[in-house]
Amino acid sequence: MTAWLTLVALGVLASLAGALWRVWRGPDPADRMMAAQLVGTGGVALLVLLAPPQDWAALDVALALALLAALAAVGFVKARSPDGAGDPEEAPPPADLARRGDDG
Amino acid sequence: MVEPLLLFDALLGLAIAALAVAVLTVHDRFAMIVLFIVFGLMSALAWVRLSAPDVALAEAAIGTGLTGALLLTTLHHIRAAPAAPVPVPGGVVVANLGLCALIFGGLAFAFLLTPLQAPGLAPAVAQNMAASGVGHPVTAVLLNFRAYDTLMEVVVLLAAIVAVWMVERGTVQAPAPVLGEIYRGFSRLALPAIVVIGSYLLWVGAQAPGGAFQGGAVLAAVGLLLLLGRLYRPQPAHRPFARAGFVLGTAVFAGVALLVAGGGRLPFEYPAAHAKTLILLIEGMVTISIAVTLAALFHGREPEAVPVSEKSE
Repeated sequence: MTAWLTLVALGVLASLAGALWRVWRGPDPADRMMAAQLVGTGGVALLVLLAPPQDWAALDVALALALLAALAAVGFVKARSPDGAGDPEEAPPPADLARRGDDG
Repeated sequence: MVEPLLLFDALLGLAIAALAVAVLTVHDRFAMIVLFIVFGLMSALAWVRLSAPDVALAEAAIGTGLTGALLLTTLHHIRAAPAAPVPVPGGVVVANLGLCALIFGGLAFAFLLTPLQAPGLAPAVAQNMAASGVGHPVTAVLLNFRAYDTLMEVVVLLAAIVAVWMVERGTVQAPAPVLGEIYRGFSRLALPAIVVIGSYLLWVGAQAPGGAFQGGAVLAAVGLLLLLGRLYRPQPAHRPFARAGFVLGTAVFAGVALLVAGGGRLPFEYPAAHAKTLILLIEGMVTISIAVTLAALFHGREPEAVPVSEKSE
C-alpha cells in the first residue's frame, strides 16, 4: 500500500515540474502566482501522501500549508488592485465610495 | 528497480537546487518573490523527508505564508523602478568565489570527517526524557535542556520589533477598502480554522511536532489577514497593548527562570512535578508574543500620529 502511495507521490511531484516551469517563465505576474498556488495545492497533496510511509506529523504540516499558502495570493491580489480592495479588474472607486469606506 | 522514495528525494533535491538558482538569476522582482515562496514550500517538503516535521511546520508557516505576503506587500510599497545592475569588479568576484570555496571546503571537510553512525546527543536526550515533563524530544530540548538558547531566540524577535518601531512610524491614511465577496468569504472560512490549528499546534507540541514557534507563526496569519483587509487598523492608542504583547513571552520566560533559580536550583531546572505546567505556561505566553510580534513586523511601523509633512511616503 505504501509503495503505491509513494508512486502516486512521485507522479504528483513530477506534475509540479510543469507548475515550476510556469512560475519561472511567467510571463504575467498572475501566471506566476497561480502556478505558485498550484504548487501549494500539490504540496498539500504530497504531504498527505507522504504521511503513511513517513510520519503522521506530515498531516499537521499539510494543515498549516493548506491554511497559509493562500496568504500570498491574498497579498498579491491586494497589491495589484488600485485601491487595495481585492479586485484587480475593477476601476478605481468613485470618490463617494472611497469616503464611505473611510468610516468602516 | 530503483527505490521510488529515493527517486522522489532526488527529484525534490533537484527541484530545490534549480529553484535556488532561479531565485538568484531571474531579473523580475515579482518573479523572484514567487520563486522564493515556492522554494520555501519545497524546503518544507524536504524537511518532512528528512524526518524533521518541526522544522517543516515552521518553514511551511513562515517561509511559505508569512514571508510571501510580507515580500509582496513590500514590493507594492517600493515605487522606484529597479536600478540598472552595476557591473561588479573582477576582483570582488574572485574574492567572493574564494570565500564561497572556503566555506564549501569547510563544510565538506566537516561532513566527511563525521562518522556515519555517530549517536550524537540523541541517547542523552532519550535518557532524560522522563525528567523533562514533556513527551516530545524537540520540545524537551527547546524548553528544558537548552531553554536558555530558546529564551535568546525570543529576545531576537523582541529586538527586531523594537528596531522596526524606531525606524518607521505613522498610521495608514488610506481609506479602508470595500472588501470583495471573495475576500470576505475567504476570511470567514480561514480565520476560525487558523485560530484552531494554531492553538492545536501549541498544545500538541508537548507530545508531537509543534510548539510555540509553529503555533505562533500560524496565529500571526490571523493578524496578517486582519491587516490585509484593514479589518483591524492599528491606532496610536493601541500601542501599550502591543508593547505588552511583545514583552509578554520574554518576561514570563525570564520570570520563570528567576523564580526557579530563587528556589536554590539552576535557572531552568524545573521541579519535576511542575515541569509540564511551567513549560506550557512559557510556551503559551511565547506563542502570544510571537504571533503579535510577527503581525506587527508585517505592519512594519509604529502606529503613531505623524503630521503629513513628516511622513516618509
